[in-house]
Amino acid sequence: MVQRQTRRTFIREAGVTTATLPFIWNLASLGFAKPNRRKQRLIIMFSPNGVVPTQFWPKEQGTAFQLPPILSPLEPFKDRTLVLNGICNKVRGDGDSHMRGMSCLLTGIELFPGNIQGGSHTPAGWPRGLSIDQEIKNYFQDRADTQTRFGSLEFGVAVPHRADPWTRMVYAGPNKPLVPIDDPYQMLRHMYGQVQDQKSLKIVLDDVCKDLKKIRTMVSAEDRKLLEEHETFVREMEKELQASQIDSSKFPTPFLDKGVKNVNDNIPKLSRMQIDLLVNGLVCDFMRVATLQYTNSVGSSHMRWIGIDESHHELSHHPDSNKESQKMLTKINTWFCEQLTYLVQKLADTPEPDGDGCLLDNTTVIWTNELGKGNSHTLNNIPFVLVGGGMRFRMGRSLRYKNIAHNRLHLSLAHAVGHRLKTFGKPKLCDGGVLPDLV
Amino acid sequence: MAKHIDIRVVPRVLWFQSSIRLLIAMGLIGLLASSLAASDQQVSGKKIYQEQCAECHGAKGQGVDEHYSEPIGGQQSLEQLFEIIDGTMPEDDPERCEAEHARRVAKYIFDTFYNASQRAKIEHPSVALARLTVRQYKNTVTDLLARFAGDRSPDKQRGLQGRYYKAKNFRGDKKVFQRVDSRVAFDFGESSPDADKIGKAEFSIQWQGGIIAEDTGDYTFCVKTENGAKLWINDKTKPLVDAWVRSGDQTEHSATIRLLGGRAYYLRLDYFKFKEKTASISLQWQPPHKAREIIPERNLSPVGFPWRLVVDTEFPPDDSSVGYERGTSVSKSWDQATTYAAIEVANKVVARLVLLSGCKENDPKRQARLKDFCYRFVSLAFRRQLSAEQKQFFVDRQFKQSADLSSAVKRVVLLALKSPRFLYPGIRSGAPDDYDVASRIALGLWDSLPDSVLWQAASQGKLRTAEQVARQAKRMVRDPRTRAKLRYFLHHWLDYDRAENLAKDKKLFPEFDSVLASDLRTSLDLFLDDVIWSGDGDCRNLLLSDAMFVNKPLARFYDIQVPVADDFVKVTCDPAKRAGVLTHPFLMATFAYHKSSSPIHRGVFVVRSLVGRALKPPPIAVAPLDEGLDSKMTTRERVALQTKPAACNTCHALINPLGFSFEHYDAMGRYREREKDRPIDASGAYRTLAGKRVTFTGARQLAEYLARSDEVHRTFVEQLFHSVVKQPLAAYGPKTLEELTKSFEETDFNVQKLLVTIINKTVFWKPGNRG
Repeated sequence: MVQRQTRRTFIREAGVTTATLPFIWNLASLGFAKPNRRKQRLIIMFSPNGVVPTQFWPKEQGTAFQLPPILSPLEPFKDRTLVLNGICNKVRGDGDSHMRGMSCLLTGIELFPGNIQGGSHTPAGWPRGLSIDQEIKNYFQDRADTQTRFGSLEFGVAVPHRADPWTRMVYAGPNKPLVPIDDPYQMLRHMYGQVQDQKSLKIVLDDVCKDLKKIRTMVSAEDRKLLEEHETFVREMEKELQASQIDSSKFPTPFLDKGVKNVNDNIPKLSRMQIDLLVNGLVCDFMRVATLQYTNSVGSSHMRWIGIDESHHELSHHPDSNKESQKMLTKINTWFCEQLTYLVQKLADTPEPDGDGCLLDNTTVIWTNELGKGNSHTLNNIPFVLVGGGMRFRMGRSLRYKNIAHNRLHLSLAHAVGHRLKTFGKPKLCDGGVLPDLV
Repeated sequence: MAKHIDIRVVPRVLWFQSSIRLLIAMGLIGLLASSLAASDQQVSGKKIYQEQCAECHGAKGQGVDEHYSEPIGGQQSLEQLFEIIDGTMPEDDPERCEAEHARRVAKYIFDTFYNASQRAKIEHPSVALARLTVRQYKNTVTDLLARFAGDRSPDKQRGLQGRYYKAKNFRGDKKVFQRVDSRVAFDFGESSPDADKIGKAEFSIQWQGGIIAEDTGDYTFCVKTENGAKLWINDKTKPLVDAWVRSGDQTEHSATIRLLGGRAYYLRLDYFKFKEKTASISLQWQPPHKAREIIPERNLSPVGFPWRLVVDTEFPPDDSSVGYERGTSVSKSWDQATTYAAIEVANKVVARLVLLSGCKENDPKRQARLKDFCYRFVSLAFRRQLSAEQKQFFVDRQFKQSADLSSAVKRVVLLALKSPRFLYPGIRSGAPDDYDVASRIALGLWDSLPDSVLWQAASQGKLRTAEQVARQAKRMVRDPRTRAKLRYFLHHWLDYDRAENLAKDKKLFPEFDSVLASDLRTSLDLFLDDVIWSGDGDCRNLLLSDAMFVNKPLARFYDIQVPVADDFVKVTCDPAKRAGVLTHPFLMATFAYHKSSSPIHRGVFVVRSLVGRALKPPPIAVAPLDEGLDSKMTTRERVALQTKPAACNTCHALINPLGFSFEHYDAMGRYREREKDRPIDASGAYRTLAGKRVTFTGARQLAEYLARSDEVHRTFVEQLFHSVVKQPLAAYGPKTLEELTKSFEETDFNVQKLLVTIINKTVFWKPGNRG
């Protein structure tokens, strides 16, 4: 789907019609349309199989708290971090905990009955509603001052190539899973292909004209007219391309290392490439919403680069008493937190292209998981770690809620961008409204 | 011409002039002609014309700008031309023109420049440089890439290969049996495909093979199941429909893909049942212009096919103002479309570079091998061997100037597809060389580029004689791509475009729905294929055959006895009631109104498409008479009344008597004996170009006359020629039409042979050579 992005789908995504832009290359102008209002951005990062609670949750509440081992990489950003404990995925119904953990994580609504059977519970299908990132994306895309070329981009790292409730968390609507792009080269094409095509085209058209001149002498005077007419069209296109030249300082095409294969052992490299692209997309204002999905629910990566040969999912099933496994799981989750920190650091290091401060000032990154804890498969105490100022929440705190449905967090996100929804996902789970004490 | 009855106004051939215009023109000069011709009995038609007509009409009837600029020409018979001159000129006093003088002028005009072949001598239409038409462009690109990805035509086998497993995944050790299924439409209920060998709780089936597309356009594929399924079409790497996860009560999953006709594509359907109460699956599609149906056996192949690149970019339509699509003009939007298409193809090629070039990414000789791929790509695109200089310009330079190999390939593809050498296959200054001949054959028969066999013949200098060309053409005529092209022509000939959204009054005819209309279309398609491609291929059977293809709903609706069958079967009808395409209910319903038949539409169809005579737009606006005008008045009477004014009669005297012979067929093409409780009057008549009057009663007699008619043969040849060559026939010499028609008649009206003859008549053409 993505690599076949045609000009038409681009125009559709850009929300412009062919009538206004007869030949659309001028991406830059689309990218920087509305500089006035302060931007708000949302990035949701996912890692699977639960966490090690003792190594993850801060013991203290409020502003004076220590970051436990797993969260320790975030130390430089502690004052911009908000850890939310006590938020639970209370969606029940068909599907095992992994499936509901994943597919109800951002949708907050039940799965349809279906034919996908997990380790336990009844078989299920896709969720009955869209995910919160898409809800916010739609809200942004409906408004001229927040509209962007893509609205949202769905990044993945090592996501298995099959579509089921364990591998998808982003939904455009009921039964409409969106595919995360986990190949950075494919993502690059998706984001910058048009710009590259334009460059090649410019050079090629010059050669086409040279050739046309040669050919003109080969045909009769009568037929020559047709070729001359043709040549004027080619010249016109050349001129249009010239006129729409892209300001490459504002619009840098990121450089990716070549030939990084999409395999388990390259996950660290792939992770950085994807994060680099994601931040690039924000700089270009291609989108205000993004997701970054590491593997999938029941993700089974083998993190050999930190000395762990066993599969992540298998380890997550081991009992708490298995100290060795607990250590490894802590290591794994710390690695994920390092990826989060790399992203956050990049956002902090990148100035807002058309305003004050840095990207992080106007971006909230949420790190979450489909389970609270791997071996119990609990959907209580789902990890939600927020970093950055996009949602204007009061940061630098550790909060402990009491068994609150995660739908209310989603509601809070929507309200934070001005989208005053009454409910999101399953209405009953929204009782009480937005989360208290966030702003 | 505001509110006339809905008749197509575009003439099939431009230069034919209208009788109406002629009337006016003759009126202007009539006065002079008659006063001069007063007493001299010996004055010749030529002299009368030169002295009195030429001033306004030009010495050769070509027209004179400040007087009457249109050339004189038309489709009336000599007798009719005489009647027009005698009866209408001079305008103020027709009585003053002596019949004998009018006859002489008419004869002179008629013999010298009035009819088409005479006109051709004067006007010297020429073969113009043409770009690829849209159809040619898309076919060419697809077939070009197929030279790399591999190509295969379907063999005679039909159906899909089905592998049945007793588990939900396709594990080899769980396979129970394998068979060819004629189509995928199974309802297993609460049971399994085989109660003895396969448990009902859990099983899976994998179907593999190909899908055969007959027409070019958008195909919507639909998998209907309450279980899980995934469908791949053309692209093995990504499912077109992914319904593996059943979710809620969703049971229909569809997606659309563009396919080119005359080609077959990879198809795979994976299906599994797990724990659901019931199991069923059906594989359906909605082909272009048709209703959704279960994919019939004739469109399925148990063998697979390689991936094809199909261009999705939209192009502006080609100019078809002369009755056939041709590429003799360019526009900005066309040029843009070629740019977008080139970008699309370049991206798709780079995405599949390993498959297309056969060169792995870690190949140590990758650069050299990709260059070879590019030489070949450009060479195929230009339909000839490349010179050293061309290799340098189109490939080597691009590699030198590119940062990496895939952008080099991209640039080569862009440059080749934007090059006039690709876009204008006819560029040539002198006599055609072997590759030009090959290119013309392939464009003529396939609207595409030469295949490897034809290419080889060109490279070996084996396309230099008529026999050699005929050998290749005969081989290529049997290819599905010729079928697709001929079908495209026949659709045009039979005005299929009119039938888009064919519908009838829902209150009066609730049974006539879109599915029935779609079945009618299929029925006629099957008939056309049958006449042209099986048996002796005698084209006259298009008019004479009493065969019809029907399925159960059609048989029921049209009251035809059929053997029990799921699909279409060929049946023989009462020859008095059915005659080939003419009375086929698809055409009869198309050339009809919402509630009633339309003798005018039917007559116009015969005049234009069969006897090949031009009709101009109606001269005056006439609102159609209401069908409910008089409860006793038949359609025939109403039409006669409506077209009674003299201004209507120049054309309707020709149209109506032909159209009336179809009155046995109602608005949906059902046969009837009576209308409004009165017996049908289906008597009709026709006056030939030579002035001979023919009469007949009913469509069968009309069909028999038309099948014998030289005019019909000539028209068919001319129309087919234009569709094949896309250049004016007359440009190939004044005798070409006669020769082709004669050859058509001598080869028992076999259309395949006619195609070969047309190819041979045209492939050696060179500038300045007129047949």
